[in-house]
Amino acid sequence: MERQQIIDGLVDILKTIRTVDQSKLAGINEGTDFIADLNTPSTEMINIAAKAEQKFKVEFDDDDIDGLGSKVKDFVDLIIKAKARA
Amino acid sequence: MIDKTAAIDNLVGIEPAVVLSHGPTKILLDKYLWHSPDAGIVASYTPTERDVKDHFGIFRGVDQIEAFAQATIVSCGAFTESRKLNCSFAELKQIFIPVFIGIGPVKFHSYLETGDTFISIGQIVIYKFRQMVCNGRIYKAPEGLDLDAYFSAFNKERLTAYDLSNDFVLVAELQDVTGRALKREVLKQ
Repeated sequence: MERQQIIDGLVDILKTIRTVDQSKLAGINEGTDFIADLNTPSTEMINIAAKAEQKFKVEFDDDDIDGLGSKVKDFVDLIIKAKARA
Repeated sequence: MIDKTAAIDNLVGIEPAVVLSHGPTKILLDKYLWHSPDAGIVASYTPTERDVKDHFGIFRGVDQIEAFAQATIVSCGAFTESRKLNCSFAELKQIFIPVFIGIGPVKFHSYLETGDTFISIGQIVIYKFRQMVCNGRIYKAPEGLDLDAYFSAFNKERLTAYDLSNDFVLVAELQDVTGRALKREVLKQ
């Protein structure tokens, strides 16, 4: 799966989350920070991770989430890592 | 001493100090009255003189929120996680620290004074990646009511409907109370 495909999938997820600033979704790239750039509440990160599991058909470990950063790149890396170990 | 939570069905009958990492001066929880691990919990507390000191005899709203969090996200989260890891509460405390990370709207309807026994009634919304979200309410319990007997017949349907007798007084409504168990080494970073 290409990294851009994952980003597109993440944007689809973010469109369903009302606490995310929808006006900023158009310009998302790997450097975008969910919290700083999209005003995503930090508590929402778990929800996004849970939806990413379903969307990309992967399973994250609790420890994966402990070490997860708040940038789009961090999610893309995690999804690729989870797919590789599946 | 509980070696493994797999040996118990729920938290009723367990001393809160066994479950919580908080020290004795910070525990705002006396007793677990009812608990269904996949649904929610009811627990009680009676504010002491120390709790209301310098606050005109009233138990602070912020302490109500803390009491609710201890009763719900912390206690229910600890139970679920210890089951998942098949470990005791003592072992769990060595690995994790409970972190209060968020809260949604809170509405206060009444107040609590020294000696008023109240219940926190919490419904589990989600538990994922060691993060728990609960909604719920705080009610002042009728004076003299045997809470153990009263909640012995409680069930999930009554929890969902906040089905209590009319002599319970609604004190607060709380939404999206969120906490997470963080590994001690992560918290230090």
